[in-house]
Amino acid sequence: MKTDDLIEALARGAGPADKQHWRRDLALTLLVGLVVSAVLVVVFLQVRPDIGAARMPVMMKAMFSALAAAVILPFALQLMKPGRPLGWRIGAVLVFAGVCVLATVVALMGEMPERRWEAWMGGRGGVPWCVVLIPILAAPTAALLTWFMRAFAPTRITLTGAAIGAVSGGIAAMAYAMYCPTDSVAFVTTWYTLAIAVCAALGAVIGSKFLRW
Amino acid sequence: MADETALRALLLQGLAGDEAAHRAFLTEAAALLRAYFRNRLRGRPEDAEDLVQETLVALHTRRESYDPNYPLTAWLYAIARYRLIDFLRRAKHRAHAPLDGLDVGDIDPDYEATDAKHDIGVLLGKLPEKQRIAIRMVKLEEKSVRETADATGLSESDIKISIHRGLKTLMRLMAEEQVS
Repeated sequence: MKTDDLIEALARGAGPADKQHWRRDLALTLLVGLVVSAVLVVVFLQVRPDIGAARMPVMMKAMFSALAAAVILPFALQLMKPGRPLGWRIGAVLVFAGVCVLATVVALMGEMPERRWEAWMGGRGGVPWCVVLIPILAAPTAALLTWFMRAFAPTRITLTGAAIGAVSGGIAAMAYAMYCPTDSVAFVTTWYTLAIAVCAALGAVIGSKFLRW
Repeated sequence: MADETALRALLLQGLAGDEAAHRAFLTEAAALLRAYFRNRLRGRPEDAEDLVQETLVALHTRRESYDPNYPLTAWLYAIARYRLIDFLRRAKHRAHAPLDGLDVGDIDPDYEATDAKHDIGVLLGKLPEKQRIAIRMVKLEEKSVRETADATGLSESDIKISIHRGLKTLMRLMAEEQVS
């Protein structure tokens, strides 16, 4: 087929472009992802028994996770459409990561030396399971977001996959906070952040395969 | 050749429903893309032209993905680069396949260098029936969306959606065919 004929065929009856409702679709995607993660936590992990007394720390952890997702979201959305530079959106993510490191150090300094290890690694057995569990909980949100983003035209798919993973990780961590038994600041700023980083790495490797168009 | 401002105006008019402007945009874009791909695939003008066509379908079916707050050429070349990388990645996979028995000498002597290798008719045959009929009638037989809707008993929006989905699939088929 000659290229001129193709152009002719493409233009014929093209009409106006469709109106896009991406904000609504995005909000719906994130909401559904959050609800699915929350259901998974309730069914498979169970909400911590002292949730009534621990309302405040649970809220704080959920807020931290929501903030992480909110900081990464502009970065992810910028990649949705081709040819847009990332600009300040990289800076926002780096500043957030920097603040997390700082908060970890300050919080650990504030603990008694003999309690530091427990505050950092968590009380129960000292294994920060969130690094494994948050990525699993993030999978449904990541799948939905990938589907949402692919409808546009992401051209830097490895980076887009990483960003989708990180946003999903933040959403999953919000739900995970209902289960998470450890409330120390240093624990959250270290391991939640790392869990989100693991989500980003998985997104870059696995998610990018599904973003191809 | 049109500059950034003119090209951008054409695309935006096309997005608003001006078919002639959209045609002009695609024509100008094709020239830019041809230069871009020929520079990067020296000595392979047919591959370059295949990529031009594939990218034109991408620009058309994804035209809503242009953000008017940013330069048009950045959008256009980001998509072109993506199609090129995709092509090279597929070609690399193929390079590992055995070449025994591959008939490389069988090229039509009348083959025009500017002609792409795709046979749209064959590719159309691979689409689901509804998409195939919609594309054939509106895009190739020059029927209006209205006429096609009446002839098939489908709604006009159904026809439009079928065309859009069909073209997206067509672009993927073009890419797959190119290296298979």
